[in-house]
Amino acid sequence: MKRPALALILGAFLLSAACSTGGGTTSVAGTPKVGGTLKIALESELRTLDPLKSSQRVERQVYYNMYDSLVTIDASLKIKPGLATSWQYTDPTTLQFTLHKGVKFHDGTDFNADAVKFNIDRILSAASSPRKSELASVKSVEVKDSSTVVFHLKKPDAALLAQLVDRAGMILSPAAIVKGGADFALNPIGAGTGPFTFVEWKRDDHLTLKKNPNYWVPGRPYLDQLIYRPITDSNAALAALRTGDIDIAGTNAIADKDIASVKSDASLVYKDTPGLSFEGFEVNSGSGIFADKAKRQAVALALDRAQILKNVFFDLHTLSRGPIPPTSWAFDPSERIYTTADVSKAKSMATGFAFNLKTPNTPGSIQEATLIKDQLSKAGITATIQVEEFGQILTEASSHKFDAALVGWSGRIDPDGNMFGWFHTGGGFNDGQYSNPQVDTLLEQARVASDQATRKPLYDRAQQILVEDVAYVFIGHGPAQEIASAKVHNFSLIADSIDRFAEVWKG
Amino acid sequence: MLQYLVRRLALMVPVAFLVSVAVFSLIHLTPVDPAELILGEERSPEAVIALRHELGLDRPLPDQYVTWISHALRGDLGRSIRTNQPVTKAILERLPATLELGTAALAWSVLLAIPLGTIAALRRGSPIDVLATGFTIAGVSVPNFFIGILLILVLSVDLRLFPPGGYTPLTESIPDNLHRLVLPAITLGTVTTAINTRFTRSSMLEVLRQDYIRTARAKGASWRQVIVGHALKNALIPVVTVVGIQVGAILEGALVTETIFSWPGVGKLAIDSIFGRDYPIIQGIVLMIAFSFMLANLAVDLAYAWLDPRISYA
Amino acid sequence: MSTVYSPSLPEDVAETPVSQPTSLRALLRTYPRVAVASGLLILLVLVSVLAPWIALHDPTATDASNALLGPSAAHPLGTDELGRDLFARVIWGSRVSLPIAFVAVAVGLTVGGAIGLTAGYRGGLWDLLLMRVIDAILAFPALILAIAIVAVLGPGLRNAMIAIGIVQLPVYARLMRAQVLSLKGLDFVAAARALGASPMRLIARHILPNLLNPLIVQISLSAAAAMLAEATLSFLGLGAQPPTPDWGFMMNTGAQFLNNDPWLALGPGLAISIAVFAFNWLGDALRDALDPRLRG
Repeated sequence: MKRPALALILGAFLLSAACSTGGGTTSVAGTPKVGGTLKIALESELRTLDPLKSSQRVERQVYYNMYDSLVTIDASLKIKPGLATSWQYTDPTTLQFTLHKGVKFHDGTDFNADAVKFNIDRILSAASSPRKSELASVKSVEVKDSSTVVFHLKKPDAALLAQLVDRAGMILSPAAIVKGGADFALNPIGAGTGPFTFVEWKRDDHLTLKKNPNYWVPGRPYLDQLIYRPITDSNAALAALRTGDIDIAGTNAIADKDIASVKSDASLVYKDTPGLSFEGFEVNSGSGIFADKAKRQAVALALDRAQILKNVFFDLHTLSRGPIPPTSWAFDPSERIYTTADVSKAKSMATGFAFNLKTPNTPGSIQEATLIKDQLSKAGITATIQVEEFGQILTEASSHKFDAALVGWSGRIDPDGNMFGWFHTGGGFNDGQYSNPQVDTLLEQARVASDQATRKPLYDRAQQILVEDVAYVFIGHGPAQEIASAKVHNFSLIADSIDRFAEVWKG
Repeated sequence: MLQYLVRRLALMVPVAFLVSVAVFSLIHLTPVDPAELILGEERSPEAVIALRHELGLDRPLPDQYVTWISHALRGDLGRSIRTNQPVTKAILERLPATLELGTAALAWSVLLAIPLGTIAALRRGSPIDVLATGFTIAGVSVPNFFIGILLILVLSVDLRLFPPGGYTPLTESIPDNLHRLVLPAITLGTVTTAINTRFTRSSMLEVLRQDYIRTARAKGASWRQVIVGHALKNALIPVVTVVGIQVGAILEGALVTETIFSWPGVGKLAIDSIFGRDYPIIQGIVLMIAFSFMLANLAVDLAYAWLDPRISYA
Repeated sequence: MSTVYSPSLPEDVAETPVSQPTSLRALLRTYPRVAVASGLLILLVLVSVLAPWIALHDPTATDASNALLGPSAAHPLGTDELGRDLFARVIWGSRVSLPIAFVAVAVGLTVGGAIGLTAGYRGGLWDLLLMRVIDAILAFPALILAIAIVAVLGPGLRNAMIAIGIVQLPVYARLMRAQVLSLKGLDFVAAARALGASPMRLIARHILPNLLNPLIVQISLSAAAAMLAEATLSFLGLGAQPPTPDWGFMMNTGAQFLNNDPWLALGPGLAISIAVFAFNWLGDALRDALDPRLRG
């Protein structure tokens, strides 16, 4: 972890344990072995190594090991210090960070407040970047001294810290960015502060990172090298894992149908925890057949979610009660009205209608859609499956040309990230044009309130309303998974599905 | 002859133009927006507009076509939308893998087809011949992806003799590369083996009926001397030309074979790009294939015209 | 050698020159292969027609708790990932794949034939331009062109049929054109035209009868190629859309579940192979039987 003092002690302890000859009660996990190469499967190839331009979730897997952010999270999704050792709101729109001292970028230049300002300004002044909407509440950044930086906000934003855990808060070496020029995104030499440095990237083949000998957490990382390989076919990933071509596969790299055989393989390890995502299908409440609430409710009542979770996801996903997953502090475990199928009640709400269900062109989605169609037909509702490419569905959904679309959300750490863009009137992901003034108010209030105790009841209430309204038909929450060879040790599974390797050793 | 060549080349120009327009418009007529696809979850209306502008997708189609074709003629096929790599580089990088696979497929197919076809011809009507003929029809009837799946099922999943896919460059490890080459090469080569076997057989039958064969036999030459000394050589001439044509079949087969076995060649790039709406790559590959195909056909026609002066030039 | 999609097998060599069989019965007697191959094809068509009675289960009825079961008494080929009876789906799949082949060939035949006819009959600029269009189609390897067309029009069986039909065009265009050209110069044709015989009459009376033999052979081979092309397109996800039971698409799913239940791939795979084999075999046998002999 990134607390220097604790890490120092832990490091010294482990190091001494490693050096000691024989005996001694060391950590339960065994003595970390220093060195070795870890081979990692990615679910698809990356497009860019520049967080500014990054638009794919898979890219974060590499970023988190190469770049550090101002803040990080722990297993319970609490915000913890990263490159910033502490922070405070001097007033609701002023956020001050105290930065870690003595940290250097991989190219040798110093990490300091100027570097932070450079990176944030870079986002704010970019012509277009997916990061801009993440930092929409930031007005400017001010350098107080070399290790103090102040964010001036346009309005209070409780979700800002969570955003700074991810790509928006990653601090890269200004010198490296300037030196890299136009090809920086493909060749970010010396740009990070993280446990591993960039070596090379051979597209569609492999991406190599190597150990940062001057990492600011002493004694870390243990591994010498990380080699990432994009393996899009899950059967191929499983085979690679079995033959040792791959040591670890990320979340969703191995298909749910094969997890059982992973679990029964003694040379492999499988662990999971509920992730941040929600899945199901969005419905167009603004126009078309689903503008009628009764019809939305009928569909929500007729679905047998348990059967879908069993057949399509092999019971690896958790039943969803709304947009917030069980791992979040904002999770509300109270029973919602749509968790079990009630076909007769569905028929009483509305029956005898048809709608289009846009389905991504992947086997799992098609299987799920077919099952949904079958279940709904029992309630006299006809779902017509329209298989399209994911990109096409997104295009049509954002222009509101759909009835229903089997699109989910990968999830964000802060509950605001799973709700505001989706369910606030005019939200960026609100393809279904859902609009409820009560929900709007609740979400806006929760966004500016600063403590969880205030925010939670707001989110509870908002969820109750939008689930009852069937703003979205929720089915399940996907897991964050560790699927690895038994040789991989000390891996910590975090709900955001990012595989962090600073603490991992291989032996 | 020269006249024929010039005429053919002249006729190729309008065809080439039609082909390029077809390639361009085919791909740009789809309703999917690659900008939305790239941005995926991070899409916001401003980001989409900005990315479309960056990719040059908001200019009128004729403009885009002219830019594309004028660059293409100079060897610049633009940049991939998905990876931002120059298209020419992306294709050339993957060409060795496809060439290796295609060569291996053709090689084993020829090595198997010629003896098999010869034996079938020599023992015409026998059970071997019937089997061989049956095999030739089956070989072009069974889909190559089924063959691939069967091979993976038996030799990889069940017997664990071969990996189910993947690729190691020759520069890294020759044994590993060859190990992974076996299954895809067999899959890809099945169709051409069938064709070549059939062709060798009929060609050999033709030759065996010739008078000079009978003369040699009458003079006391053994069958082996006759076959190797005379028949085989003459029978092989048409076979060689046929093999040249099979490049087309290999290319088509490579699309599916490379996808099944995760073999990173041009075929897999094409399929991935189609599903990823990567216009520049799709255009580049199809254009290159179409033109090399046309040139190959021209070469074969010229070869025929040269070999057999009886062929008309109509 | 033209570059048609079907890897066309070269013709067999006759032992001795044979005379044309004069009747269907004579044909079948002299060439038993034609009889057997036709028999196989008729069997396939029968299976397809009688599907509702042979299948025993509803091919679209899901039974999610009984998914991925192996072969058993209740389910001869087992169940698929949604618990549907695989045997029923394979049988019903013939109702998708067979008609598609026929329609695609019909499209290629009529449109290609029309083009070839016009080019040959009109000659001159018409011929020049139309044949360049044909050349343009032939410039692409067939599968690639088919994929590109479907990628534009959108996935679906209808568009797959159009794409495959377009790819089949050139063979029929050239066939028709060659026949027309060879007849054009003949005296009796010129005489007939002078007497005012309409083009339709000429086509019906003189052109088509001479084409019948090579046409039948070509249709059989084209059908095989069309089935194979449709299976490949559907395998890639560009053809039939769920939940239509289509062999190619079933193999796509089957490849996914290879580790779990190989029958999902084996069932439809065998079905495609047998059907395509039947067409190819028939076409091959017919070619031996019908084409005038004396080679070399």
